[in-house]
Amino acid sequence: MDTKFRTAKKAVVLTAVIGTLLLIAMEIANTLWVSKQIGIATDEAVSAVSSFYLEAMADRRAKSITNLIDDSFDEMEQAVSFIAGENIASQEELRNTLGVVKSLLGFNRFALVDEDNIVYTQYTTYTGRSRHDFLSEPEIKNRLISTVYLYGSSKQLCLVIPTPDLSIMGKRFKACFIQFDIDDIVNLLAFEDQGRTYYALYSNSGTNLSATELGPVISDHNLFEALKGIVSEDVREESCENFTNEAMGSLSFISGSAHETLCYVPIQGTGWEMAVLIRESVIQDQIHDISERYLVTGRNMILFTLVSALALCVVLMLQIRRLSNAELDAEKETSRTFRNMANTDSMTGVRNKHAYSENEAAVNRQIQAGELQKLAVVVCDINGLKLVNDLQGHAAGDQLIKDACALICDCFTHGAVYRVGGDEFVVLLQGKGYDTMHGVIDELNRKVEENIKNNAVVVSIGYSVLNREDQQLRDIFERADQMMYERKKQLKAMGALTSRL
Amino acid sequence: MRNKGRHLVLLLSVLAAVFAFTACSLAPPAVHSDEHSASVETEISAESRPVEASVPSVSDDSLRSAVDFQHELDSYEPLKDHYSFYFTYKTVHSWWDAVALGMEDAQRQYLEKGITITYEYMAPEGVSAEDQIQRLRMAQKKGYDVIGVDVADEKILSPVLDEMVDSGTKVMTFSSSDASAGCRRIAYVGNTHNYQDGADLTEALCEKLGYKGKVAILVGSAGAPCHEDRARGARDTIAKYGDMEIVATEYDMDSVDLAYDLTVQILKDCPELDGIVCCNMSNPVGAARAVVETGSGAVIVGMDHDEEALRYLSDGVIYCLGVQDCYSIGFDTIQTAVKIADGNLAGELFPEKKNEITTIIFQKDAALMRELLYGEI
Repeated sequence: MDTKFRTAKKAVVLTAVIGTLLLIAMEIANTLWVSKQIGIATDEAVSAVSSFYLEAMADRRAKSITNLIDDSFDEMEQAVSFIAGENIASQEELRNTLGVVKSLLGFNRFALVDEDNIVYTQYTTYTGRSRHDFLSEPEIKNRLISTVYLYGSSKQLCLVIPTPDLSIMGKRFKACFIQFDIDDIVNLLAFEDQGRTYYALYSNSGTNLSATELGPVISDHNLFEALKGIVSEDVREESCENFTNEAMGSLSFISGSAHETLCYVPIQGTGWEMAVLIRESVIQDQIHDISERYLVTGRNMILFTLVSALALCVVLMLQIRRLSNAELDAEKETSRTFRNMANTDSMTGVRNKHAYSENEAAVNRQIQAGELQKLAVVVCDINGLKLVNDLQGHAAGDQLIKDACALICDCFTHGAVYRVGGDEFVVLLQGKGYDTMHGVIDELNRKVEENIKNNAVVVSIGYSVLNREDQQLRDIFERADQMMYERKKQLKAMGALTSRL
Repeated sequence: MRNKGRHLVLLLSVLAAVFAFTACSLAPPAVHSDEHSASVETEISAESRPVEASVPSVSDDSLRSAVDFQHELDSYEPLKDHYSFYFTYKTVHSWWDAVALGMEDAQRQYLEKGITITYEYMAPEGVSAEDQIQRLRMAQKKGYDVIGVDVADEKILSPVLDEMVDSGTKVMTFSSSDASAGCRRIAYVGNTHNYQDGADLTEALCEKLGYKGKVAILVGSAGAPCHEDRARGARDTIAKYGDMEIVATEYDMDSVDLAYDLTVQILKDCPELDGIVCCNMSNPVGAARAVVETGSGAVIVGMDHDEEALRYLSDGVIYCLGVQDCYSIGFDTIQTAVKIADGNLAGELFPEKKNEITTIIFQKDAALMRELLYGEI
C-alpha cells in the first residue's frame, strides 16, 4: 500500500516538473519564433511604409509649392487689374503703384514689361531682354513658370503672366512678372525635419535648387551625378527620364549600413521635382528602440515565468507532501478506527471475540516459537444471565453483562479482557498480570461470594497457565474452562443464581 | 490521489499557457538593420579634353576673390534721402546684367538705411554711339542726380560728356569703358586695365603655342574702348614674337552669333589657325562653338564669365578666360554716384578711376568659378 502511494506521488511530481519544463521550453521557442516572424513582417512593413510615407510627404510639399504658384498667379492678375484701374500719368506714379502692390502682396520682385522689353520695378527701370529669358520670345501668350539662375549663384522662381490689355502712359505692356528666391520657398516650407527626413528641390537636370542636403551621400550635389555608382545605371537613367518627363518615381540604395529610400514627385509647371529621402534606419532605429524595450520586458517576463514556475513547483511539492502526510494520517486513523470497531465489544468496550481470535493466532505462533514463558488464561462466565434476560428483560441482562465486565476489569487491571461469548469473558495475563494472578483471582472470588449475599453480579472463573506441553492457547483455555465449570458448581452451591430457577 | 495529480498537471499547464501567451504578446518584433555595406562614390565625369598636369591655374582664394559678392556700403552719410540716376551702357548683354545685380545690392542696402535710390539702366539692342548720345540728351532733360555711361565710342562720346558736364550735369562713366583721357566726366568705376587684360590673355596664348603660330583676334564693338584696348594689347604682345602672326581681326559687335560666323569663316580661310584672342564676352562663346563644330585645334583665350564659356573652359575648348568683377563694378558705381550727386568730386571720398580687378582663370579653375558665379545649373 505504501509503495503504491509513493510511486503515485513520484509520478505526480515528475509529471508536474517535466510538464512545466516542457511548457517553459515551448513558451521560449514560441516567443523566439513569433519574434522572428514579427521581425520579417516589420521589415516588409518598414519598406512599404517608407515608400508610402515618402510619397505622401513629397506630394504634400509639392502641392504646397503648386498652391503657392497658383495663388501668386491669381494675385498677379488682381494686381494687374488694380494697376490698370489706376490713372498713372508718370513714371514716378508707376513706381509708387508698383511699390504699393509689391508691399501689399509681399513679392520680392514685382515688375511690368513694356512692348520694348523695358522692365519697370519699384526702384529701377532697365532693358531686360538679356536678363530675362522669357523676353526672348516676341510675344507672351500664356502664363510662364521658369527657373532663373542668377549671376552670384542664387536661384529664383519666375512667374510671368501676359498683360495684353494693359496700357500705361500710352505704352502697351506685354507682361507682368514676379521672382521668388528659391531659398525663401524652402524657408517657407520649413524643409528641416530634425535631420531625419531630407528634402530637396531639383531641376529636371538634377541640379539642387534648394541648397538643402538630401542626406549625407547625395548631399547638395547634382542628383544624377551623386547617384553614379550608388544605384545601377538602369535605375539612374530611369530617374533621369522621369525628371525629364516630369514624372514621379522612387529608388533605394545602400549607404554604409543604412538603407535609404528616395521618392520624388514633379511640381507641375515648374520643371522641378520635389525629392524626399529617408534613411530606413531611422524608422528601424525608432522601432528598434521600441523593440529593445519590449525585448527587455519579454526577457523579464521569461525570467519571471521561470522563477514563478520554480516557486510554483516548490510550493506544489510542499503542498503535495503536506497533503500526502495528512492523507496518510487520516487513513491511519480510519484504519485504526475500523480496526477498533472490529475488535471491540460495543456493549462493554472490551475486546471482542474477533480480537481474541486475531490475538489467539499471534499467541499461538509465539507459543510454538517458544517465545512465551508466562501466560495465563482466565475464563469468566456470568451466572444467571439467561434467567435475568428472560425474567427482567434484555436491558437488565445487558446491565448484568456490563456489571460483570466492570468487576472483571476492576480486578484484572494488568490483563487483556475479551468478551468471547454472550456471558463469557477471557482474560489473558502476561507479565505483571501473570505475576499477581493468584491474588487477583482470590480477590475476585471473594467479591463474587459477597455478591451472592448481596444479590449482585456473580462471575464464575477458572484459570490455567501455559505448560510446556501446550501447543496452542486453546489448550490452556480448555483447562481454564473446565475449572470455571467447577467453580460455577461451587457458587451454585453457595446460592448463586444459575440459568435455571 | 491519481485524480489530484492530474489536476495539478492541468493547473500547471494552464498557468504555463497563460505565461506563454503573456510573453508572446510582449515579444518584441526583431528589427533587422541591413548590414550590407557599399562604398559610395561620386564620380565627376571628365568630358572633352582632359586636364593636363602642366595647365596653369590660380589659387582658390584668388578665384573666390575674383568676384566679390559680399559688399557693404562705406561710412559715407548721404545728404539726401532720395536719389535718381540714369545709366546707359553699350548694348543689351548679360555682362551688364551682372553689373546690374551689384547695383541692386547697393540700392537695397541704401534702402535699409532709409535712402531711396531709383535709377534707369538702359541700353540699345546693338552698340551705337548715336543711340547713346540720344539717350544721354534725353536723360539730361529729366534732371537726374547723376548720369552714368559705359562709353560706346570714346571719340564720339567724350565731347558729348564734356558738354553735359559743362552744362551742370553730373556725369560719370562706369563698367567697361571710360571716356577719352582728358574728358571732364567726374569719375570712372570699372576696368581700367583693358589693354593689360588683352596683353595678359595673349601672352598666355603665346606661351601655350610655344610662341609660334597663326592667331586671329576677335574684337567686340568697333570703337568700344575696352574692346579696342584689349585688341591693342593683343596685337602688341603678338608683335613681340617673330614666329607669331595675326591672320585676321574681326568685330562681332557683341553678338555671339556673329562671333560664331566670323570664326567659322576665319577657320575656313585659315584651317591651320593656331589661336584666337577674344576681347569681349560674346567672342569666346561664338569662337568655341565654331572650333568644336569644325574640329579645329585652335587655342582660344577670351574675356568674361559667360556660363557657356565657362563650360567650354571646363571642357578644355577654351584655354583661359579673364573674369571681371562685374558685381563690384555695379555696387561701387551706385556708391560713387551717390557721392557725386551730393556734389563731391574725385578725391578722398572716391578715386577718379575706381579700378576693378580681372582674374585670368584656366581649365582647372572653371568648375569652382562656375559654381561661384552660377551655382550648379
